[in-house]
Amino acid sequence: MRLNTTDFEILRHKSVAAAEEMGLTLQRSARSIYVKEVSDFGTAIAGLDGKAFAYPAALGLAAFVDLDLNPTLQAIGPLSPGDVILSNLPYANGGLSTHLPDLQLVRPFFVDGQLVAYGWTMAHTSDIGGGVPSSISPRFAEVYEEGLQIPPVLLVRGGVPDETLLAIYRLNSRAPKTNMGDLNAMLAALEVGQKRIESVARAHGVAALLQFQTQIADYAAEKARTVLDTIPDGRFEFWDYLDHDFNSNVPVRLCCALTKRDGHIHLDFAGTDPQVQSAFNLPTANLRSPYLALRLLHLVTSRDRTAPNNHGLLNRVSAAAPEGSILNPVYPAACGVRHATVMRLLDAVSGALHQADPGLVPVAGGGTVLPVVLVSPDPVTGETRPMVIQSLVCGSGSRQGSDGIDGREAGLSNTRNSPIERTEDEAPVLVEHYGLRCDSAGPGRWRGGCGLIYRIRMLRDDLAVMARGLERFRFTPWGGAGGRPAARCRVVVNMGRPDEREVSRLDYLPLAKGDTITFMTPGGGGFGDPFTRPAEAVLQDVLCGFVSVPSARDDYGVVIQGEEVDEAATSALRCQPRDTVPTLDAGPFRRSWDEAFPDDLVRRLIAALAPFTPRIRSRKRQALYESVLPALKDGGLPRIEEPAQTRDAFAQAIEQLEREVAA
Amino acid sequence: MSGGWRIGIDVGGTFNDLVAIREADGRRVAFKQPSVPSDPSRAVEEGLRGLMDRAGIAPAQVSRIMHGTTLGLNTILQRRGARLALVVSRGNGDVLEIARSRMASAFDFTLKREVPLIPRQRVFEIDARVTAEGVIDRRPDAAALDALAASLSAAGVDAVALMLVNSYRHPALEAEVAGAIRSRLPDLPISESAKLWPEIREYERGMLAALNAYVQPLMEGYFDRLTDRLAGLGLTMPVFITTNNGGSVSLASARARPIDAALSGPSTGVTAAVLESPVRLRGRLVTLDMGGTSTDMAVVVDGQPEYTNEARIGEFPIILPVIAVTAIGAGGGSLLTVDAQKVLKIGPESAGSDPGPVCYGRGAQVPTITDCYLTSGILAADSFLGGRMPLHPAPSAAALAALGDTLGLPPGEDRAQRAADAALQVATAMMSVEMLKLLAQRGLDQRDFSLVAFGGAGATHACMLAEEAGLDRVIIPRTPGTLCALGAALADIRRDYGRSLSATLLPDGAGFEAVAEAVAALAAEGTGWIRGETPGAEARPLAFRLMAEMRFPDQAHALEIFVPEALRETLDGAALLDLFHREHERLYGFSSRDERVRVSTIRLSVSLPEPALTDAALQASPPAPGARRHRRVFSRGEWHEALFRRRDSLAPGDRLEGPLIVEQDDTTVWILPGWQCHVEADGNLLLHRISRKEGQA
Repeated sequence: MRLNTTDFEILRHKSVAAAEEMGLTLQRSARSIYVKEVSDFGTAIAGLDGKAFAYPAALGLAAFVDLDLNPTLQAIGPLSPGDVILSNLPYANGGLSTHLPDLQLVRPFFVDGQLVAYGWTMAHTSDIGGGVPSSISPRFAEVYEEGLQIPPVLLVRGGVPDETLLAIYRLNSRAPKTNMGDLNAMLAALEVGQKRIESVARAHGVAALLQFQTQIADYAAEKARTVLDTIPDGRFEFWDYLDHDFNSNVPVRLCCALTKRDGHIHLDFAGTDPQVQSAFNLPTANLRSPYLALRLLHLVTSRDRTAPNNHGLLNRVSAAAPEGSILNPVYPAACGVRHATVMRLLDAVSGALHQADPGLVPVAGGGTVLPVVLVSPDPVTGETRPMVIQSLVCGSGSRQGSDGIDGREAGLSNTRNSPIERTEDEAPVLVEHYGLRCDSAGPGRWRGGCGLIYRIRMLRDDLAVMARGLERFRFTPWGGAGGRPAARCRVVVNMGRPDEREVSRLDYLPLAKGDTITFMTPGGGGFGDPFTRPAEAVLQDVLCGFVSVPSARDDYGVVIQGEEVDEAATSALRCQPRDTVPTLDAGPFRRSWDEAFPDDLVRRLIAALAPFTPRIRSRKRQALYESVLPALKDGGLPRIEEPAQTRDAFAQAIEQLEREVAA
Repeated sequence: MSGGWRIGIDVGGTFNDLVAIREADGRRVAFKQPSVPSDPSRAVEEGLRGLMDRAGIAPAQVSRIMHGTTLGLNTILQRRGARLALVVSRGNGDVLEIARSRMASAFDFTLKREVPLIPRQRVFEIDARVTAEGVIDRRPDAAALDALAASLSAAGVDAVALMLVNSYRHPALEAEVAGAIRSRLPDLPISESAKLWPEIREYERGMLAALNAYVQPLMEGYFDRLTDRLAGLGLTMPVFITTNNGGSVSLASARARPIDAALSGPSTGVTAAVLESPVRLRGRLVTLDMGGTSTDMAVVVDGQPEYTNEARIGEFPIILPVIAVTAIGAGGGSLLTVDAQKVLKIGPESAGSDPGPVCYGRGAQVPTITDCYLTSGILAADSFLGGRMPLHPAPSAAALAALGDTLGLPPGEDRAQRAADAALQVATAMMSVEMLKLLAQRGLDQRDFSLVAFGGAGATHACMLAEEAGLDRVIIPRTPGTLCALGAALADIRRDYGRSLSATLLPDGAGFEAVAEAVAALAAEGTGWIRGETPGAEARPLAFRLMAEMRFPDQAHALEIFVPEALRETLDGAALLDLFHREHERLYGFSSRDERVRVSTIRLSVSLPEPALTDAALQASPPAPGARRHRRVFSRGEWHEALFRRRDSLAPGDRLEGPLIVEQDDTTVWILPGWQCHVEADGNLLLHRISRKEGQA
């Protein structure tokens, strides 16, 4: 029985609204900062196939459209009305969670005794125990350090909560009241979902509701196909890097090969580096997993705003990440800080798409979120407390026909900034400068968005600054189609003073009264040859302070005199022959790195390391890289003087390792 | 004064609506006049002349004019305001570029951001800075101020907005800089952010100053022309301008702070909807203002519309308290289209007022919701807008029949009606889910609510919407088409005051002094202002509404705590904390009474309540002889012989059952089968669901 167009469209509105009402209920009554301010929560309604058919259009996290409840459901078996499953362990719920603070609830929706759908809610709760407050630290190596592990279990049986389980849960959190508030909000959201689905079933019939679940997925698939078919057939590969694995300065490579054939797209992440002994791992449970194909979802929904949010959008997409890699780690790898990994994963997929057709997606944005944390004594209790005083983003990547956005990058969280006045009201600092960073954007016919500059002055002596998870200090955001990379991330203490010093990795930095610290985030990459950018646009950027006069000349070939373009000098400069640039240009350091550590050798190394346990694998990998390039031990930007020599040394070291393994 | 008339004027995109109320007995007269977008004051003049003619009002009998204007709003939306410069503290020059550093969507990479109201080249930094404690950190010297004045002069600007970091804690530095600029450039108007609204958040406060400066020259010019035209009509009584908070201010106050008037239209509609609803139902109302191009909803709880400090004008935030009105997708002009998968889509594009729906006969080809009303028989071609605008049923039906063909509806003579019916059902579902989300967001249950419908199409769609969304009552005021003008006529003089502070209350309530001081200062400021707004205000009682934003130190999201008026005078720290903890417990199921609590912002509204004006008794006029008694309507898959009545033929106490059409000059009311229509003593129609009583509370 196919639904007619009227009923179909009405059911579409009602089912999405039901998922959104769940989200609004959760957001209203949850108490944790993550839900309130960062919208780190999700709600959806899944069909009997365990996949979401109704997902909010713009509420909470948009990343989990492709969620899969089946591993969770299979772990528990048949459900009764009023049951609710709780879980948070990615390794036990099929990657439904990606780190422990994300509580997952699943409730079967019954109508007159018949199972018709599943409600899903997720919320990033304040604290789930573990080694640090809020449960997340990059230095953790195993989930045992990250808090209470909960496999799928029945939190509520037939409407009755399991008090034993709740007692354990409460004891394992530093913020039990807030957490219970969140849990109750999630349960309330599920109750709203049940009510709405019940009223939909009563108005349209259970059969229509069940038919709708598959029909809406088919509808989404058809819409997606129109967009995805713009990707040409072929195999396209790209990799990008995380600056380091936290425990050392050895970079981590994320590799994506996109194959398009017969209308089907396969994302293969083979060639991605092994899992790390820090919390950067992204558990994906050997499944397509929402994050792996997320960039394709962005592509579809950006190109067709009428496409409904459900798993049907990815009907023709498969994905595979090698087991034991940072994109599919094995238990018990820590995974609290997978945010940076996800951002780089998106860049890798973007790069592959860009190879297929430069017009498909923007080039790399700044690609890092920089939470500036001030550690200061509480004015009343004197106790030291960390406080996020600003969340600095970067500039967005440009694309065919459009500059990137200055000082804004939606990325994953898309949160609002903290006003200067709020920061100064809460923390003993003075924000001296909060603006767009000159010359941070990748030059191009379409330039990248500018990154940000943020300078704070300490108003007390006993302060410290933390900024973990900073990225793009070495591997700059790439430009494409002749566009150039953006400036790298920088942090400078006492900039412009005699005691100025550059900080290449910032963990915990004590500062004294009067000291300043300046954060400079990358801009987005540029698109197209910057020498073809209209001189008038370059002049505007110079007048606004986004591009310097030297950069206008060197990067854009535009000579500015006073407040005007020197037309003659500009034409002369723009006619001169120039070096060609790669299709995707990530800058000189990246070029020398790729030359020194080429793809075939990296893959050989990954294979050679495979037999070892994750801990030994990580140690051996670090030692091998450091022996080949000793400068890695010092941090900062390691200079690769002779890439060919480094490559030879790399090859020899791998051979030695292979011999060792064979023996 | 009691013999006088109060006149409310609402300027809209297509029509200017005017309502006169006689203060002695509440008699009302309404009048509609086509707008003159090129010179709105002319249409106001013509409308006033028409209204006074119709009602037989002499100029001397008009006691006050209450005027709502969309000029400020349109100036911003169309970006045709003053050429501005912005002056900010050193290091903060990119404040408009960065805004809140957030994109409209996390994932749509084709989105762009707003074009800043003031381009970066006209933003100037100076060494003027206040610390968070309200101490001056840096102050510009004379040379710096000379240089600034020279830059402003060279930039050739009409006006300046001034926003210094932390000026909300110490507005004097902004005043000092403004004074220095004024002494150098005496003719340059300056909007100071902290003087307008001393609330924490530099971007939003700066935008407020900028928007105020942006609309000021055009608004002042309009007010001048308006005053001239009124004088030409012999009207010299006080003029008031309606405001974003549903109230009104004197013309002099509106000149000084014109941004107060930018969003007044929808707000006065909500005010009137509340006042027009029966007192017994005011506890829980949803207002539905549905016009040709937009549909707005607002939630009213305990007789009070909800206010927000997060309203937007186009792409810009406005932190002044505004009645929270939510625009939802479908309006009468929403276009009906079919996508590649042959699924019917409604909106988001709208036909607007020109060319408008197909039935307007202005050459439009794509059918709209209004075409559906006409084709299904709810609207009559010859009585739209009291017969002043004949509709064209044939092209409307043809367009809908073609749509039905594309959708694969069965062929037959009623295919157009079936297509119209399908579209109305989808549109109703869309409006219904938006309403339910609005209520879910507030934790409210739709079954407790009554729907108040107004605007040209509100009454036409309200019953369908209530049926779908599960509301049992619909209120149709007497003049739904001119309700915003009525709201203007009934608006109290009112202004909101706000101030951010840095106060921490200890668990025993200690630390309340800073709060008390702020409340007292705001009350004194507001009282002083309102006493000067209108003669005779000294002797009349004032009304206050006090709100406090409060939170635990570790809580990012502040709660807005309403302080009941009975508590305000005697409020102390312990009582305020108790209000906060109770609200926290209500929302989250717990609170922590042993923790410190921060009070971050205080808001106080001051108003001068007008005595209630009840409408004069309703007189029913007998139906014209030979008038039609039935109309055929196609609805929900079948034809109905709907009873047909003119609104003015209904008498209080009448009870009629749907299917029923009640037609009046400014709208057509459609009442479904299963609903009853009761004519209240004051002339309002109360629609009541009768068919689904079982299992209802």
